[in-house]
Parts: sequence; C-alpha cells; structure tokens
Amino acid sequence: MQKRYWRCFVCNDIHSGLKPPEICPTCKVKDAYVEISAKEARIFDGAVAEKEFAVEDFRLAIEKMTEGNEFMVNPNREKVDLLLQGVMSNERSYGLKYCPCRLITMDFEEDSKIVCPCNFTVHATYKGVPKGECWCGLFVKR
Amino acid sequence: MMPLVEKAEQETGTPIERLEVWHETKNADLMRSLKDILLPKCGGKLAVPAFLNTETNDVVCGEVGYEALKEWVKK
Repeated sequence: MQKRYWRCFVCNDIHSGLKPPEICPTCKVKDAYVEISAKEARIFDGAVAEKEFAVEDFRLAIEKMTEGNEFMVNPNREKVDLLLQGVMSNERSYGLKYCPCRLITMDFEEDSKIVCPCNFTVHATYKGVPKGECWCGLFVKR
Repeated sequence: MMPLVEKAEQETGTPIERLEVWHETKNADLMRSLKDILLPKCGGKLAVPAFLNTETNDVVCGEVGYEALKEWVKK
C-alpha cells in the first residue's frame, strides 16, 4: 500500500501512514489533519533542524519503548553496549538501524522487517518462550 | 562465541574458516549467495553468526551453546 502524508493544520505535526491519527499526538486537537504530498512533507521535515541521533538517544528511546510492556532492554549492560554498537554500525553502513545479528539481504521490503527494534514478539525466540528474547537478546521478557 | 569456536577447533582438530560479514563486502555477498541454504534453516533470516558445512549443507544459526557447535563440527 502506498504511504500517504498528513499535516496537522494546528501545529504542523507531520504524520505518514495509511490514515491520520484521529487526535494529533502533539497538540491534542481532534480531526486536525490534512493530506499533503510527499514533497510537502519533506519540506516540513527539512525545516526542522535534524538532531543527531546518537547511540545514547537510541538507548533511551528503546528503554522508553519498553515501559509498560512485558519485555525490557536486557539488563546485561555489556551485552547491550555491544549490540548497540552493531546497530549503529549498520545504520552508518546501510542507512537504517538493522539488527546486528542478521545480515541484510539488500531487498528493502525484506530487510525492513529487521530494523531494530523489529517485531520480535512474534518470533520463535520470544513467543511462548518463558525467558523469551529477540534474536540477539537486546530485548528480553521481564 | 569466538572462544567456543576456537575450543571446538582445538578439541576436534577441525579448522573452521571465519568470514567477517559486517565490514567485508565480499564476505557479505558470499553469505547472500548462500541464502537458499541458510534462510530455511535460520528462521528465514541471514543469521550472524552462521556456521555452514559446505560439503553437507549442515547449518547452525546464531550464538549456540558449545555442545551444539561441537556436534556441528563433528558432522
């Protein structure tokens, strides 16, 4: 399905996806999105100074993502540091934060499934496994 | 994982060729060329590390325990 773009006419929040949120997550106004072109979306995105997303930013992002979930970031700090090095290395080499424990196939659709964090909750290493974890152990069950 | 590989080599006397795929494009391309063998045995993904016996196509995927690795070497 073709991705579409929407702009909140109140705060200029840009959303991409199959449909816009009913309530803008930024300004909380209901039914505030207007569909825009990809070009317009890029212009709005480009107008914002691009923040460098360092490894610590990603670490914080994944820790926040796990809040309230049945999984958490692996408490083994040394292992996590190593895995995050791999994730960031993949981003430098291939453009996205690909899983450091799987080689990309160079097929974007296929490889999009292993951008970290991936949908590991359906994988055999996690689902139905008492001490389940994602393929490389970055995320583990609580 | 590397210490386990070295231990398996020493105990079995069987050398294991190591090919680094993160930074060596040639090795990464080689691994992709073997995807028809690797994907079905590694949950549909090119797992790293992966251990392939090129004579028997026997595969071990990911960071396995020493006994599983040694069994693969002995085959």
